[in-house]
Amino acid sequence: MKQGIFAAIVAAGLAFGPAHAKDTGLVFVSNEKSHEVWVLDAEFNVIKQIETSRRPRDMKMNDAQTMLYVACGDDDVIDVIDIETLEVVDQIPTGPSPEVFAFSPDESRMYVSNEEDSMLEVIDMESRIVVHDVPTGAEPEGVIQTADGSTVYVTSEVADMIHVVDPQAGVVTDNIIVGTRPRRFVLTPDTNELWVSAELSSEIYVIDRDTNEIKDVLEFLPPGFRPEDVTPVGMAITEDGSIGIISLGRANHIAIIDARTKELQDYVLVGNRAWSVALNRDESVAVVANGLSDDITLVDMESRRPIRSIPVGRVPHTVVIDD
Amino acid sequence: MRWFLAFTLWCALAVSAGAQDAREVRLGFLALENDPRFDEDFAYARIALRPQGDTVTGVELAIADMKILTDARGFEVTLDEASVSEDALVAEAERMIADGAAFIIVDLPAAQVRTVAEAVGDRATVLNTTAPEDDLRRSCIPGLLHTGASDRMISDALVQHLARQKWTSALVLRGKSERDMARAAAFAEAAERLRIEVVETREFDLSTNPALREENNIMLVTGGLRDYDVIFIADDYGEYSRYVEYQSALPRPVIGAAGLVAQEWSWALERYGAPQVNSRFEDMSEDNRRMNWQDWSTWVAGRAVLTAYAKTREDSVEAVNDYMRSHRLSLDGSKGVPMTFRSWNGQIRMPILLTTSNAVIDIAPIQGFLHQSNTLDSLGQDEAEFSCE
Repeated sequence: MKQGIFAAIVAAGLAFGPAHAKDTGLVFVSNEKSHEVWVLDAEFNVIKQIETSRRPRDMKMNDAQTMLYVACGDDDVIDVIDIETLEVVDQIPTGPSPEVFAFSPDESRMYVSNEEDSMLEVIDMESRIVVHDVPTGAEPEGVIQTADGSTVYVTSEVADMIHVVDPQAGVVTDNIIVGTRPRRFVLTPDTNELWVSAELSSEIYVIDRDTNEIKDVLEFLPPGFRPEDVTPVGMAITEDGSIGIISLGRANHIAIIDARTKELQDYVLVGNRAWSVALNRDESVAVVANGLSDDITLVDMESRRPIRSIPVGRVPHTVVIDD
Repeated sequence: MRWFLAFTLWCALAVSAGAQDAREVRLGFLALENDPRFDEDFAYARIALRPQGDTVTGVELAIADMKILTDARGFEVTLDEASVSEDALVAEAERMIADGAAFIIVDLPAAQVRTVAEAVGDRATVLNTTAPEDDLRRSCIPGLLHTGASDRMISDALVQHLARQKWTSALVLRGKSERDMARAAAFAEAAERLRIEVVETREFDLSTNPALREENNIMLVTGGLRDYDVIFIADDYGEYSRYVEYQSALPRPVIGAAGLVAQEWSWALERYGAPQVNSRFEDMSEDNRRMNWQDWSTWVAGRAVLTAYAKTREDSVEAVNDYMRSHRLSLDGSKGVPMTFRSWNGQIRMPILLTTSNAVIDIAPIQGFLHQSNTLDSLGQDEAEFSCE
């Protein structure tokens, strides 16, 4: 049964492939403690383990899908992996302990949270010069940029705040106080919302981007778990803005919700300390990195069931899919 | 399947930096001049048997960590720090209150915590950071909170590990000091709860006196009795215990004061943002020293007070106190779970690290040890078994 579902997904993936010649279908997983990016093919077979600088965490692809950027926290660089050769071809120096980053819409700039010195660093991609160092609360983590490039949001895990940053001026224009240990963001495509996960108060804050006011606070409780087990971190939203996926950390589940009404649809069991989550392009499969069981879980988005889990390196952090 | 959608407005504040007039928050920090617990004399050969260094750095780190948040709420945080002789403690606490401190963080032995907290009464909240005595918690002094772990919590953490490993019997060794008696008693209580058998409790002696060889010779102290799985040592000075490993009559692991040590914090914790806390602390401390459990306790005390100030919507001290003691606190101590204060004895709930000299072996509550309301309450005296004395 499971095999059947899986085969169908693979077939769908392959059928989708030829329309986008560049799309390799590769799945990249960064592993914080084994200092590698694992590469899986479209059928989720491990095909390569790319050695990176130490402690690879957040990863982003450029728009052209030719390069994968990997923030390496213990070597203070962003490694650049060529997607064709699957080799590290370049490094961008950053401040101490880069954790999460985002590109400006034209990819001329990069916004990096530096966990150790509490800065949001704005780096010019061509000259590789730091254009701005924006001071944040301690342990900045999640970074996201609005599609129009006008605003960057960054969380401070210790100060329980979202800083609203004007990236041109390099200044904080507003602060939003949220729950305990805010981690990651997603932006809704159609409702002008910013979602932020507050790991230790077990909440998702839904913020109105016009007013910076908190609209909703979402809480989750999969059956058999305690509220304090629910430590949400990673999130994903479908391109049409209809479905949201939230990883629930030590509650070992993801929650799938209606992104507009916030109505819960399903809880799906995944691995231990479900961490970051990514959707493939046709949104048939969600890939969840499990930080404490050193594996990734594939979730079939139609049946809402886990397909299988695949062992990866030590402490998987982020999943990026090139399809 | 339960689903909550909460429109909680208490936290819905979006404030711009510096928009309000600065209001002062005074934090008191009171310590004992020449605290015997930090006495270096016991350390031979320059081996630091006890954590050294000024725990006020933990509070300073908390203030620095929270600055951006307290700034945004328009608070100006002032640290009123004093280290005085035993006789001057109460007067100093009174002075802090007179100067406007509503919260006093104390790094004091249990007897002095009691004296200060009783003298202060309900005029200020006293946060005990480094006195682990369960007696102090059972006294139920109003206005006294505890951010360090109790002896019982430390013992429960060790005993959970024993139970999980199926190490079901222990030899208990203890020194002659009151601290050692308290810790050994807490271990016995914890062992009883999880059915770990204490095969014998023996007193050790830190001497080479041949007349006391039954107490000071490690082979004799650990031998001449039936088999056991593990040796638990209560040794506050730390001098005797560091010689027990590898010298016991039976090849058995040592826990408690040496070997596997349960404590609030370790520099070796690699998860939950702990490395960042450690490096911020090292940068801030005078000699770039590592953060000890005492420093973690003062850091958490500072964070608890400042978080409550920043997140309460009302500005009264009562509202700050209410917030701090409520479930809404959800304090992050960089140990992966939200922490709150127990309503019945003012003790903060926390995970306890099981540490060796360079590793965190496990974090209690250990997986599988459950509790009807909060697994953190499997550590320490639970509400049902607790009564004020």
